[in-house]
Amino acid sequence: METGCGRMKKGGAIMELSESYLVCEDSLEGIFTGIYDAYLLKKPHEQVHICVGEDENYRLFAEYLRCVPDETKVAKVAGTIVREFGQEAYLSICRALASGEPDKGEAIYKTVVAGFKMKNRKAVMGNLADPYIHRVFELARFTANEAHFHVEFLRFYELENGILFAPIGPKNNLITFIVPHFADRLPLENFVIYDEIRNIYAMHPSGKDWYLVYGEEGMEHPDHVFSEEEKKYSELFTHFFHTIAIKERGNLGLQRNMLPLRYRKYMTEFQ
Amino acid sequence: MTVMQKLEILTDAAKYDVSCSSSGVERKGDGTGIGNAAAGGICHSFSSDGRCISLLKILFTNECIYDCKYCINRKSNDVSRASFTPDEICELTVQFYRRNYIEGLFLSSGILYSPTYTMELIYEAIYKLRTLYRFQGYIHVKAIPGADPEIIRRLGLLADRMSVNLELPTAEGLQRLAPNKHRKNILAPMRMIQQGITQNKNELMVYRHASSFVPAGQSTQMIVGATPESDYQIMMVAENLYKRFDLKRVYYSAFVSVNEDKDLPALPGGPPLLREHRLYQADWLLRFYGFEAKELLSEDKPNFNILLDPKADWALRHLEQFPVEINRADYQTILRVPGIGVKSAQRIVRARKNGSLSFEDLKKIGVTLKRALYFITCNGRMMYPTKLEEDYITRNLISNKEKLPFDRDGMTYRQLSLFDDSQELTWKQAVGG
Repeated sequence: METGCGRMKKGGAIMELSESYLVCEDSLEGIFTGIYDAYLLKKPHEQVHICVGEDENYRLFAEYLRCVPDETKVAKVAGTIVREFGQEAYLSICRALASGEPDKGEAIYKTVVAGFKMKNRKAVMGNLADPYIHRVFELARFTANEAHFHVEFLRFYELENGILFAPIGPKNNLITFIVPHFADRLPLENFVIYDEIRNIYAMHPSGKDWYLVYGEEGMEHPDHVFSEEEKKYSELFTHFFHTIAIKERGNLGLQRNMLPLRYRKYMTEFQ
Repeated sequence: MTVMQKLEILTDAAKYDVSCSSSGVERKGDGTGIGNAAAGGICHSFSSDGRCISLLKILFTNECIYDCKYCINRKSNDVSRASFTPDEICELTVQFYRRNYIEGLFLSSGILYSPTYTMELIYEAIYKLRTLYRFQGYIHVKAIPGADPEIIRRLGLLADRMSVNLELPTAEGLQRLAPNKHRKNILAPMRMIQQGITQNKNELMVYRHASSFVPAGQSTQMIVGATPESDYQIMMVAENLYKRFDLKRVYYSAFVSVNEDKDLPALPGGPPLLREHRLYQADWLLRFYGFEAKELLSEDKPNFNILLDPKADWALRHLEQFPVEINRADYQTILRVPGIGVKSAQRIVRARKNGSLSFEDLKKIGVTLKRALYFITCNGRMMYPTKLEEDYITRNLISNKEKLPFDRDGMTYRQLSLFDDSQELTWKQAVGG
């Protein structure tokens, strides 16, 4: 098939099935390719769906097409989104793409479709009455909020060799949204931010640009040895943290609302 | 004395200062040092009282020549005294900052020898931090009333935010509890910083690279509940400060009784947290919702309602302005609806361009419908058939428990329960019945 999607036969016979499902890789490239291919099908958009990853329960009377990420298609879709809908919408879509939710591909695809029907395409993300746009808005907001929490609560630990090391365990794949902030703030530091869940390292060498390294599966994690100074400053800060509280105003409930428990695992003052 | 001991003494002495904001200035790093600043500010932790920790909040010294009755560091108190050196402050700030513990430094101080002498010490520390350590993160310093204007001017060129504490809402209160401080001495540096900021903005327009003076603006704080002022007086003072001194923020600090003194009130129920909370809610209404203090309170009704937030309270006294049609009303009108915040109002105005909105849409947008439903229509219809009647709506709003930031283990919950017996009465007063 000319779309570049391998047509999978279900049940032997080829028939004109009404619903088409495009199965995409879970990445920006995968989903943008899916959107391109969805347009190539030239079917009513209500009958075309994008699903992400492998674990789809196959439905009867529907065809499943697997999409292979294609750089040219990705560039075209990304270019179109920026040109037609603007930078702000593109950023929202990128944030939604970082989500771990399986319906993100479908939501983004249908948002693009809905956007093209609007008179003022640049205002697409404001059209919250549309369920797909609202879903993208929701997913993007979740990623943005979680990224902001990481900017707040991420902690660096100084290793023996002077490198600053910060482990994180986010629900969304947000590492690329937070590293620029730290790179601007700590330009002369050698630092590493490590996403434990996805096994991704962001490396920032002093005075140079940062880059990502994808860890190998089953790679050994060396036990990190902290520097002498690390113990001193982590104790000083922990002490500061306890002293600054006004005990007459004690309010653990409010503290828990503002600083969710799941972040504390990585935070110096809660060790 | 070790740095750990100093940090403990000088943190403990600084903790009653309310401001911990790191907002108001957006600045990228220049690549040669450490630090930047984010316009919205960044919190880095929350202490067990639920307050944000954004800055390393410390005193330079807790030595003091003054004897303010409410202050833990007053001259007549027998507490351990300590002072940092400028280098200790720089090391702590930079080492905390690079580990992402803090957003910058908040440096205040007791008064050693004289206001000018103390400000010189603070200047030395900040100067070192900015130049030798090349620190480009956020710095908030206190301007001490009575210090030489020249030193305040020099410090203002290094700091992001400066603040002068108003301490107490009125001059009478100040006279009673802080005999060494005078209202006009407090307002003088505030006015000077304001003029410095205005002048600097003009300079920046002409010379793009002129150094900026207090770019994040100035703030102040006052203690609430140590002296007998009403909420109305406090809000009028705050409004004045916003309008006439261009302050960025006014902070309200529920009085915490740390000293035994016959001139201080006994607070068996703990600090007046609910009152402080109501003042902050009203402060928000002044700054972001287009309200004026005299719309919220008056000589005849000088205190906020205990059971209702100031916006709901206002709406109930102005039912003639409701219901508001969501699909047509202007932004300012929508902003005044209880249950609709700034973000929701902005989203409504954006979203309705693509077609009319229903209650379902409003819910998705983030409107708190159980509060808003009495005050709005969508395409001419209310959500449920409901009476536009003060008693009825008040009862419904109160039965929907307001989310307070301190219901579980805060002192205020106990304070509230004091009113349980007389709820009927209080409620009637609240609705003017």
